[in-house]
Order: sequence, then C-alpha cells, then structure tokens
Amino acid sequence: MDLRAGDSWGMLACLCTVLWHLPAVPALNRTGDPGPGPSIQKTYDLTRYLEHQLRSLAGTYLNYLGPPFNEPDFNPPRLGAETLPRATVNLEVWRSLNDKLRLTQNYEAYSHLLCYLRGLNRQAATAELRHSLAHFCTSLQGLLGSIAGVMAALGYPLPQPLPGIEPTWAPGPAHSDFLQKMDDFWLLKELQTWLWRSAKDFNRLKKKMQPPAAAVTLHLEAHGF
Amino acid sequence: MDISLCWRQPSGMVGSKRMRMPANFRWLVATFVLLYLLNQVNSQKKGTRDLKCTTNNLQVWDCSWKAPLGTGRGTIYKVCIEDRPRSCHQLEKTNIKIPALSPGDHEITINSLHDSESSISTFMLNEKNVSLIPDTPEILNLSADFSTSTLYLKWNDKGSVFPHHSNIIWEVKVLRKDSMELVELVTYNTTLNGRDIVHHWSWASDMPLECATHHVRIRCYIDSLHFSGLKEWSDWSPVKNISWTSDSQTKVFPQDNIILVGSDITFCCISQEKVLLAQIGSKNCPLIHLDGENVAIKIHNISVSENSGTNVIFTTEDYIYGTVIFAGYPPDVPQKLNCETHDLEEIVCTWNPGRPTALVGPRSTNYNLFESFSGKYVRFKNAEVPTNESYRVLFKMIPNQEIYNFTLSGHNPLGQSESTILINITERVSPHTPTSFRVKDINSNAVTLSWHLSGSFAKINLLCQIKINKANSGQELRNITIKGVENSSYRVAVDKLNPYTMYTFRIRCSSETYWKWSKWSNEKQHLTTEATPSKGPDTWREWSSDGKNLIIYWKPLPINDANGKILSYNVSCSSVEETQSLSEIPDPQHKAEIRLDKNDYIISVVAKNSVGSSPPSKIASMEIPNDDLRVEQVVGMGKRILLTWHPDPNMTCDYVIKWCNSSQFEPCLMDWKKVPSNSTEAIIESDQFRPGIRYNFFLYGCRNQGYQLLRSIIGYIEELAPIVAPNFTVEDTTADSILVKWEDIPVEELRGFLRGYLFYFEKGEKDASQMRGLESGHSDIKVKNITDISQKTLRIADLQGKTSYHLVLRAYTDGGLGPEKSMFVVTNENSVGLIIAILIPVAVAVLIGVVTSLLCYRKREWIKETFYPDIPNPENCKALQFQKSVCEGSSALKTLEMNPCTPNNVEVLETRSTLPKIEDTEIISPVAERPVDSSDVEPENHVVVSYCPPIIEEEIPNPAVDEPGGTSQVIYIDVQSMYQPQAKPEEDQEMDPIVSAGYKPQMRLPINSTVEESAAEDDIDKTAGYRPQANVNTWKLVSPDSPRSTDSNSEIVSFGSPCSINSRQFLIPPKDEDSAKSSGGGWSFSNFFQNKPND
Repeated sequence: MDLRAGDSWGMLACLCTVLWHLPAVPALNRTGDPGPGPSIQKTYDLTRYLEHQLRSLAGTYLNYLGPPFNEPDFNPPRLGAETLPRATVNLEVWRSLNDKLRLTQNYEAYSHLLCYLRGLNRQAATAELRHSLAHFCTSLQGLLGSIAGVMAALGYPLPQPLPGIEPTWAPGPAHSDFLQKMDDFWLLKELQTWLWRSAKDFNRLKKKMQPPAAAVTLHLEAHGF
Repeated sequence: MDISLCWRQPSGMVGSKRMRMPANFRWLVATFVLLYLLNQVNSQKKGTRDLKCTTNNLQVWDCSWKAPLGTGRGTIYKVCIEDRPRSCHQLEKTNIKIPALSPGDHEITINSLHDSESSISTFMLNEKNVSLIPDTPEILNLSADFSTSTLYLKWNDKGSVFPHHSNIIWEVKVLRKDSMELVELVTYNTTLNGRDIVHHWSWASDMPLECATHHVRIRCYIDSLHFSGLKEWSDWSPVKNISWTSDSQTKVFPQDNIILVGSDITFCCISQEKVLLAQIGSKNCPLIHLDGENVAIKIHNISVSENSGTNVIFTTEDYIYGTVIFAGYPPDVPQKLNCETHDLEEIVCTWNPGRPTALVGPRSTNYNLFESFSGKYVRFKNAEVPTNESYRVLFKMIPNQEIYNFTLSGHNPLGQSESTILINITERVSPHTPTSFRVKDINSNAVTLSWHLSGSFAKINLLCQIKINKANSGQELRNITIKGVENSSYRVAVDKLNPYTMYTFRIRCSSETYWKWSKWSNEKQHLTTEATPSKGPDTWREWSSDGKNLIIYWKPLPINDANGKILSYNVSCSSVEETQSLSEIPDPQHKAEIRLDKNDYIISVVAKNSVGSSPPSKIASMEIPNDDLRVEQVVGMGKRILLTWHPDPNMTCDYVIKWCNSSQFEPCLMDWKKVPSNSTEAIIESDQFRPGIRYNFFLYGCRNQGYQLLRSIIGYIEELAPIVAPNFTVEDTTADSILVKWEDIPVEELRGFLRGYLFYFEKGEKDASQMRGLESGHSDIKVKNITDISQKTLRIADLQGKTSYHLVLRAYTDGGLGPEKSMFVVTNENSVGLIIAILIPVAVAVLIGVVTSLLCYRKREWIKETFYPDIPNPENCKALQFQKSVCEGSSALKTLEMNPCTPNNVEVLETRSTLPKIEDTEIISPVAERPVDSSDVEPENHVVVSYCPPIIEEEIPNPAVDEPGGTSQVIYIDVQSMYQPQAKPEEDQEMDPIVSAGYKPQMRLPINSTVEESAAEDDIDKTAGYRPQANVNTWKLVSPDSPRSTDSNSEIVSFGSPCSINSRQFLIPPKDEDSAKSSGGGWSFSNFFQNKPND
C-alpha cells in the first residue's frame, strides 16, 4: 500500500488524537463510567481531521474539474444540487436545536453526503482521484459510525432512511456534464460546511457533557503534559 | 418584349447597313424609313402589342400581349397560328396558352375586334423568344436536429410536368436571426426525370440552432437541353424557419459535445438577462450578440481537453450557465498488435493504443477484436484513462483452427481505426512458466527432471531448455524436444553429470517452432549420489632423517576424482618378503610413517569413500644415488618458477619435483609435483611461495626401481634486497692503507642470491660525514664494487696518513642494495715524511746562509764600496777642529748626559755669535715649551740649545722611531745629504758647535721673514736658531699623492731623517685644514695610525 502525503498527515493526526486522549482513557479516569464525553470528543476530533483531509481532496478534485472551478474566487450560484443537504442554517434555529435533533441532522446529512461521494468516486476518471475519494469515503464512514455511537450512548434512535430519497448517485439524462460539475463543486462545498457545523455541534455537545471536576483536572494536567 | 415582334423590314435595314450608298441615296432611304415607322405607329395604335410567351413546363407556352390603345373590356381577340390548321382561337383575354410550338418561326396573327373596329397584328413567334421560368418551388418540410445543429430541408421537384430529363439547379438560402442575415447560400443540382421527386438537403450549422431562428428559402433553375429559349430562375419559395422552444433548464449550447482538437466551434447562451462574461476554461472570449440577450462565442482551433473536459461559462448578473466540451482525437491505429497463446487454449492479443485520445470514461476508445474466419469477436472496453501501456484482450481459441485473421478496431465518438494480423497460432506459442519442477536421482551420473506445464500442447512438440549450474563451475544449457501433452507433467532424464556434485537445475520451454521462451522455472538444487573414487591419491615418500622410517605423503583427491566424501585411506608397503599395511587412516590425515629396513618396497595408497575404494596409487621407496649432482640457482617469474631439464631416456615413469623452504629442517618437503616422463620442464606454482625466501627444489626421475635425485636447485620466487648489512671490521691500518674484513650474511637475511658488495670510502670525520649521504655522488667518495662474493677482505691503499676515513659496506642482490654499515677509521701517522719535511727546509736555509756568507765575504770590497763608502771624517775638517776638542772632553758623557753637555759652553759660544741672548733664555725655559706640542718643539730645542748630537740622539728615539733599520737609514741619509741635525753618530757631536755657530739650514734665509709672519707664535724660536729643512709650505704642497711628490726635492723630504719624519708630522700646523687633508690622503700608515685616536 502506498502512502501519500495525506495518509501520513492522517496518521500524524491520529497519533496526536491518541496522545491527546490518553488521559481520557477510562482506566485513567477515576470517575467510573465515562459517559458519552469521550466518544463526543472522538467524534469532534474526527471531524477536524476530516476537515483537513477534505482540504487536500478538494484541491485535487477541483483541479480535476478544471478552471474556473479551481479558481479561488469562483463562487457559483447553487444551481441544481438541490438534493444535497444544506448545512447553512439560521443561527437562532441552530441554537434552538436539541441534542437529538442536532445529532440526527448530522447523521442524515453525512449519510447522504457519503452516498453522493461514492457516486463521485465511481465517476472519477483517474485512478488517483478514485483512490483519494475512496480514502475519504472510508473516513467519512468512520465519522458516521462515530455519530451513531454518540447517539446510541445518549440513547437516541438512529434515523430511518427515507424511502423517497434514494441516496444513490444516478445522473439523469438531463444532467449535463456542466451541471454535474456544479453538483460536485457544491457537494464538496456542502461537505466542508457540514464539517464546520459538526465541529461546532460536537463542541457544544462536548461542553454540555463535560465530566465532573476531577476528570477535568486530570484532563488539564494531561494537556499540560 | 420587342424582340418577339419580328418584321421583315429590319432585315432589310440590316442589309442597308451593309451597303455602301451615295449620300443623296441615303437621304432618300432615311426619309422612307421614317415614313414607314410613322405608319407603323399609327397602325399599332389600332392593333395588339407586345406579345410575350413564357413556359414553366416546356409543353405549354403562355403568351400574353397588350391590348390596343383605347380598347378596354369587351374586346375580342382572334389569335391564329398561321402554319397550323384549325389553330385559331377566339377569346376575350389578352393571354393564351398554346401548346409548345416546334422550333422555327411561327407567324401569329391577333385580330382584335372592338366596337366593330378590328385591327390585325402579326407576330413572328420562335421558341428562342420564349422564356422558361419554373414554378416557384415549395418547401415541404424544414426540420432541425438540435443536437447536431443540422437543418433538414424537404421539397418536391414536380418533375412529372416536364417532358424531358433536365438538369435542375436548386439554390438554398439560409438566413439567421430575426434580421435574416444570410449565413449560407448553396446550390444543389438534381435532374428531372419525369416524376415528382422529394429532395432532401441538410445543412450543419456552425452555430447551435437553439440560439437563433434560422430561415430557409429555395428557388430553382431548369437547365433543359431541349429548350433553346431563355431560361430564368424561379422565384424564391416562401420562407420556412426553425427556432428553439426552450423546455429545459439548459441555457448553453452545445451541451457535452465531443469534437476534434483543432476544430472551430461556436457556443451560444440563451438568456433573458444580459450576459456579462463568457469564458472557456479560464480564458475570456468576446461576445457575439444574437437576438434578444442571447450571445455566442466562437472558439478557433480548440486545444485538447483535460480529463473532465473543457468548461465554457457564461456569466450573467445572477447566474452562471455553462457547458463542457471534450476536445480529443479519434483513436490512433492500434500499434504493435501481437497475438500469441500461452496454452493453445486462449489467444492473448496485445497492442499499444498509440496517441492518447484525451477522451476518458464513457468517451474513451472501445476496441473490438474480430476474427474473420470464425466470425467471432471480443470486445475490450477501456474505462481507464488512456495510457501508453499495452492493452490486452483474450480470445478463446476455436477448435481445429490454426490460422486466425484478427482485425482490431478501435472507435470513439470522433472516429475509428483498425489494424489486422494474420497468424498461425501453433507458431505463436509462448508457454507458461513450468511449475512443480522436481529432480530425482537415477544414478551418480544422471537425474530425472519433471515439471508441469499447463496447456493443450498435444498437437505440437515442445522445445525445452535446461540450465545446469555446477557448483564452483560454469553453467551448461541443454535443449531437449519432447512431445506435448494435455495439461500434464513432463519428464526428462539428464545424464553426463558428475557424482557427488551439487547441481542447480532450471527449465524453460517453447514450442518446437520457436516463438518465445517461457520464463525460467524455479531453480532446484540437487546433489548427485557418490561413486567410487576414480583414481588413487597423488603420493610421495621421504625417508626420515634417521633413515629408518619411511614417511608416506599423499594429497587429498580432487573433488572430480573423489566422487564422494573420502572417509579413509589404506596404505600398504610391500616387498618381496613382506607386506606392511596401515588401514583406515581417517581422511584429514594425509601422511603415514612406517618403519622399514632399507629394502625396496612398493608403497600403495588407496582412498575410500562410502561407495568403495579408489585404484591404488603406487610409489617405490628406493632412492637411487646420484654422484653427479650440482646445486643450481633459479629465480622465478611472477609467482611461478620454471624448471627445465634434459630428457633422460632412463626415466621410465614420471618426474617428481619436490620443494621446500631452505631453512626448513629435514625432511624437507613442502609440496611435490609429478610431471609425465616425456616432459622436460615444469612450472612450479604455489600460494605458499613468498618473495625473498629461498626454496630448495629437487628434481627426481623415476625408474623402475625407484627415484633418483637428478637436480638440486635453490631458487627464489622473487629476489629482494638484503635486510642486513655485512658485518665488517678493520683488520689493519697503516699510514696509507686500511684492511677491511667482513662476514657473510645469513641466507634468511640475504633474501636473494648475493651478487656482490659495494664498498664506499671517503675522508671524513664522524660528525661531518653523517651530514651527507653516500648517494649524493660526491666526487670524493670512492666506490669499490666487489663482485667476487667469496672475497671477504679488502685493502684500501693510497690513503693519507693520520686522516679519518668513513667506510661503508653494503651487500646487494638482484633485488637491490642492502642497508649500509659504516665505520670511521683514522690512518696512522707518517714519521719519515715528517722528518724529511723538517730537515729539507733547514738544510736549504743553512745552504743559502753559507752561500750568502761566502758571497758576501768574497765581494765584501764591492759591497763596502757600494753600500758603505768612506764617509769623510769631520775630524779632518779644520773648522770643526776645536769643537772636537771641546767635545772630546765630554765624550764619555755622550750617552744621555744632558747636564755634562750643558749649554754653558754653548752659551759661551752663543755669546760669541750674533744671536741675541733673549732667545736663548726663552728657548731654555721649559715653561714656554710646554703648551706647544712636545714632539714638535723638542728637536728644535735641542738644535737650538746645544747642537749637541748626543742630546739629540737621546731625545729622538723616544717619540716614534723604534726600528733599528730606521736608525741606520737615518744615518745613511744623513751621510748622503750631509745633513745631520738630529741623528748622529757619536763622532758628529763635535760638529754641533760649528753648526750652531756657522752653519744654517738651507731654508733659513728665504723663509725667515715670511714664515715668521704667517707661522704661529710658537715658532718664534725658529727664527733664532735651527730650522728644519722641511718647509711647511712645501709639505703642504708637496704631498706624496700629488704629482710633485716625484720631485727630487720632495724625495729628499720624504726620505728625511727619522726626526724629520716625526717632525713632519708635528710640524704641520694643526689649524691648517689643507695640510690635514693632504696628510690624510697621502700619509698612509703612520698617518693613519696617528690620526686614528683622534677619530
């Protein structure tokens, strides 16, 4: 298996994550049941890692789409791509979301995005691109699992996939190559926005689920370490 | 159309033009014509005019005319064609359709009846005057394929109305936009063949049809050969147009097009709002405005696209519209198409796609491999990005078909290409790599190889190649041909192998009609089984030093002869009487010692391995003495030594050369070598040989009874320089020779054959000669090269006595010079020489003395005459007579008796003289003298005071003159010049009073006045008494370096008395710089030394 720069960054990030959470290992915590806190933290870290990974992937993919998609100031209107789950939400609405709804929305969004990404992978013309996309899909699958874990820890049921929205990538005949590229562009953009939003979501959730003071102390010590 | 109206007169008129008429006749004709024309006008006003005929189908002519002037409705026309029966028609219209008339002129009369007035007009009608104007064509249908931007036009030529086949030319006009800009005008030729035919015409637009309305009109022109009249274009058909009805969100056209690189293409955008910007990739393009807000851009010579295509973007205020264009190439001709089989079951065809098409994914090239004999084909879908790597497709072989004709065609949206190959598949077999490769023993010289080869090779023979690698040896390739089988194992025997040898086998196969080798199979190592040793060991024997034991040596068998692992050796010694044997000597031991009496034994040695024993190798124990034995020398070449000998017919078996290190103790044996009896030379080579070591070589010849030592040789592989210097001592030393004696250098330290000594000697002390080396080639170093190595002493002769010599001795071989040993020896003193050296000068001196004395004695008269002439005796001078008597009394006091020769007498004498008294006292006073330089004054004092020679005599020597010679000289000069003021013999003292009384120095008178004025105050006394003969001025001028110094006067001056010499010095006035200078320059030594303290 050949390792790429992205892989090594990923490994580094994973290593950092592991070190970071070494003190959060249940055995080290004297508070007994750690609760959902560690898994939220893990999900949060995974989100940040995916953000980093996406930056590399998007660079490659937008170059593949060609100009003007890879131009930094290219900001097209959202044509088509209507089925993509929107990450942008009114701040008040976002604040008013409860944990369950918050997690559910995340879960649903990534479920859809993952399916679209897999479609993207099938369609990509170069082996290198397919490799990068497959790698990212695996990571995203991990995030999805992580969110599911958090939801399970909090006792929330997983949302059932809606029968109406079949999350498979099927470019219709009316879907021109250009619109397809726009969709790809928006898919990456939405994915990025979702990762930002998720980071905020999980950070908020993390604060809410903050363990008792003892554990905090230990954590801080470890931070100093 | 006036042309259609024909009258006969014009021809006459034309004829009149041709004639040459007189002028008055011309006037007459003109008048006539004018009258005629007026008549005609009047008559036409009454008849019909302008008969015109046209046709649209060549069958019916439609003729029309103009009604007579002043007539209107109700006029009836009777039209008659004169040359046709019943061809008069009566009608009320001004036109008539008549069947087409035959070629030629036809007279037509039209009789118009109006209000009972009639007028007849006659026309000549010819087909040439008839115009063929086709009916206006009608477009049946205009459709468009928007995806290809093609317009399709359909119309009917209505050819059924035409009686003949005619060519018809259609002109199609394509107009674009609402403003109907002409974009295309094309002609289209067809023929009319008597039937109505619907024609189709298509036109591909350079601009997508969606972006603007396109209009089409047509017209036609019939080019009938059977019609001689005028042919004209029909009118344009009514316009048909086509436009895009937007029913999708697509706004930019064309969508997802695939075009050839380098083409021109136009993109357009349908927009309700203003398009601000259009770009292809990242490049902006100028906008072409179409109807409304629609715009287009035109791209010339489009460049190749990236994998995802080239993006074309139109930007409005709020939106972005775009499309993707794929610019690529049609597939290249498949290159290096090659088909072969690995197993005769499937054919593998490979090819290189050639130039990349730049089209990927669904637009990439698909290949089709078609076999024409069987009609079967396989498809190759290339979903990957095109690369330069080979493509590969499998084709299932058809049973019983050997010849295949493959056509590989590649096609993509831009085109297709193909290449073909015709093969006999049995000649294109490249088998798979053999598997399950195994080796089995048959015997110690042969093995069986077996392997598996998948493939249906039953119909062909296989050629296989076996690579045999022998341990520590080269490799061997053996080709074998075997019958092919169906997917099975193959087996082959490999012989001619060596026993007990490690072999490595590999195999690869091909078809017998070689095409390609398979890859090599895995290699298999195999050790063949053992066999009995093929020969006995190489044996030698030596008698022990005490001569009682025989030591038997043998060499281990080479691996080729051992044929296995040697376990032990059996040694037996047999003579006529007895046999002794030693058995089972284990392998690492390669010698055995047996106690034997000096009998003639035959020793045999046998080597044994696990399979059996070797044949015995035999050697006789007996040594045949050789009286004629000399020791020879040999030096090796490189690492080897060459020994040669003369063939000896007595030697029946072989020669043996054994060698050993010369310093080794008995028995001397390092190794031996056997050479056949017919050889006369042997090259001895051994890794044990070292340069600078002496080896002994012994050549033995073998006879029936035993071995005889033929030659004994000492040798070196390479000679080196000695490592020590010869030890030498001085045996004897004489005054002119040294006897040196040295010792031999031990063989170990000699390191070569001694070739001689070099003896250097030179004069030199120990310290000095250490400074310089012998090598520097000083001429005073003497070298003696002693090449007689038996010489152990050397006498060096012709040396100097009592001299230190540096002696150096070095030994040398062909390898070079050894180190030096040096010594310092001093030769003895030579006493005889010394005595002689003293005696001879003494004798010579004595002899010279005697001879001189003798001569002097003989010639004493002459000498006396010459050197001591008689000096006139002042005593004989009467003038001085008295003085003598006076002085006689005080003659005893002549030596340093100042007081006895007191100037009392002088004063008495002075008083008698005219000299003033004052002067006397002044002179006497020592006080007055002191300040003045004593040496300067003193002589004057004496002179003046007493003129008493003894006193003067005493005073003078003190200051300067020590030498006796000087005194004598003074005397001599005085004698010569007859002047004696200072140094005088004792007898002269008598003269002094006379001098003081009467004699005056030579300079006295002339100088007196002048010198007195110019001289220093101290000189006052000079005027009174004595003046030295030297004039100060004269000295000043006459310095020895000046030319005047050669003057006779000056000579006298310079040869002055000692007193004068001294006084000269002091008489020079110290203040006078000139004199100081002159004295410095000319007064050499005395002056120099005198002045020096002042410096």
